[in-house]
Amino acid sequence: MVRLPYLTALTTLFSYGLLFAFGQMRDFFRKLIDWSKSKGKDLKGYAPICLGLEDFYTRRLYLRIQDCFSRPIASAPDAWIDVVERYSNDHNKTLHRTSNTTKCLNLGSYNYLGFAAADEYCTPLVIESLKKYSASTCSVRVDGGTTNLHSELEELVARFVGKPAAILFGMGYVTNSAIIPALVGKGGLIISDSLNHNSIVNGARGSGASVRVFQHNSPSHLEEVLREQIAEGQPRTHRPWKKIIVIVEGIYSMEGELCNLPEIIAVCKKYKAYTYLDEAHSIGAVGKSGRGVCELLGVDTADVDIMMGTFTKSFGSCGGYIAASKEIIQYLRYTCPAHLYATSMSPPAVQQVISAIKVILGEDGSNRGAQKLASIRENSNFFRSELQKMGFEVLGDNDSPVMPIMLYNPAKIPAFSRECLRRNVAVVTVAFPATPLLLARARICISASHTREDLMKGLDVISKVGDLVGIKYFPAEPPKHVEQDKKTL
Amino acid sequence: MAKLYVHTVPPPDLNKNTEWFMYPGVWTTYILILFFSWLLVLSVFGCTAGMAWTVVNLFHFAVTYYFFHWKKGTPFAEDQGIYNNLTWWEQMDNGKQLTRNRKFLTVVPVVLYLIASHTTDYQHPMLFLNTISVAVLVIAKFPNMHKVRIFGING
Repeated sequence: MVRLPYLTALTTLFSYGLLFAFGQMRDFFRKLIDWSKSKGKDLKGYAPICLGLEDFYTRRLYLRIQDCFSRPIASAPDAWIDVVERYSNDHNKTLHRTSNTTKCLNLGSYNYLGFAAADEYCTPLVIESLKKYSASTCSVRVDGGTTNLHSELEELVARFVGKPAAILFGMGYVTNSAIIPALVGKGGLIISDSLNHNSIVNGARGSGASVRVFQHNSPSHLEEVLREQIAEGQPRTHRPWKKIIVIVEGIYSMEGELCNLPEIIAVCKKYKAYTYLDEAHSIGAVGKSGRGVCELLGVDTADVDIMMGTFTKSFGSCGGYIAASKEIIQYLRYTCPAHLYATSMSPPAVQQVISAIKVILGEDGSNRGAQKLASIRENSNFFRSELQKMGFEVLGDNDSPVMPIMLYNPAKIPAFSRECLRRNVAVVTVAFPATPLLLARARICISASHTREDLMKGLDVISKVGDLVGIKYFPAEPPKHVEQDKKTL
Repeated sequence: MAKLYVHTVPPPDLNKNTEWFMYPGVWTTYILILFFSWLLVLSVFGCTAGMAWTVVNLFHFAVTYYFFHWKKGTPFAEDQGIYNNLTWWEQMDNGKQLTRNRKFLTVVPVVLYLIASHTTDYQHPMLFLNTISVAVLVIAKFPNMHKVRIFGING
């Protein structure tokens, strides 16, 4: 539930309409000029690569503010990061890198527990494993790519998450888009939350199963969809579905909201549907001992059939995992193409995850894990409450380290981004089509390595820029937070 | 200006091309754009109110026919071209007919026609042009015309 002033909705729609109209006019003139210029094209007879309409959004809207996205960095994504300066000579159509960098406060990287920079326990072990196992296994898992690091991590992940077995993949996106086709095929039904990540959407499309969408985080609508689909059966033949899988995420990365997991699991159990939980943003970041959203909301891990996660966010590495029962993992080992044909995870990356999990569990002999978990929780709650006191519209639940600040108008996106960069704060802004049209936002990711001074500086800059850009939609005083009603159970 | 707040919940519509139409404030923006363009035409051309409404009506006909019923596909490449044969009108509401949005969009050209013909006192040639625009627009929006291509034009 997002609240926005009615006038802002009107102006946002009008702004997009204006941008669209200007884009169409420019396209029209471009067509005129090109038609008179090139009569003898050397691609005669070939179909055009791009239909012209398909990349309208990229050409006319995204390229105008291209300098706010894909900013190259020149250091590890720690609490402070070096951003490379770029310039453009043709109004952002092409950007050129300079060799200057600016040190900025990093509010955009997924560095929830602070493992992204050099760590006193992890980095020496990673360097050792790099020397011993080299940077890549140069092989597929089934051929020669399984080192004992990989087996150790699979057992460790299974123990950490609370499932009998686990399997690793080299890339988080691929984990979703290659596993879902292996689990369900034609004749099956996938019911996914309307705000699921693109990897899940692609995996669902590639599987050949029928896909239905239920309203974000609403167990009642899920129940409605389940009842309707079970009653109707497969399209045209009306035979019963071969299997039904419901896919939800732990923390939705664009909203910062927690999933309504207990109710959704209850609905799925009632109708005998399998559940698939994508914990990319919540594993390691929430929960008392960092075991994710199941621990936070008090759900037994045996009730969730398949738990997926990535190592990019909280563990400072790359790759993904699936944790499930021994039979499912055994089945995936000989059906999933990402295991049979894709290169295995890089051994130093595996070692980084092993050390990070050991730190979180406290098995490295110190309590740095518990400190990090407490620190991220405090930082997130402090930052969120301060932003809300200043009058910003901030989404997300308590304890979630992801907090989007709503911008709404398309012109405020580059304004916010550029002004923050000018004041040495690096933020990530997201717009249509990654988010709904009206709801453009700046997404802040808090890290355990941010100190109190860093957060105060960030708040100061965001407050000044918010005044300049005009995004303090609510009265700036400590009001009662109506939308903060999802307390931890 | 009093700040009235509206609640919005993201609708479960996967087609990013049409999903923006389900948000609060869209109908109001549409009507406001028509009204302000009428004011603009009046101030630029300095004609009578009726002529201005006729101009707005014809311009509205050209723009909405082109974007709703002629242009096919979506302006993004991420949906991999599954809507490449459907116009915007056919993509709306996932192809469901007679929804609230569709009824609203059908009523707007009719209301514009009534205003335009009333303010020009039903004279020719404005009446003829206005009638053509409303006839084409309303027929294009009939449920029976879903995915119909007359003579294979625009197929």
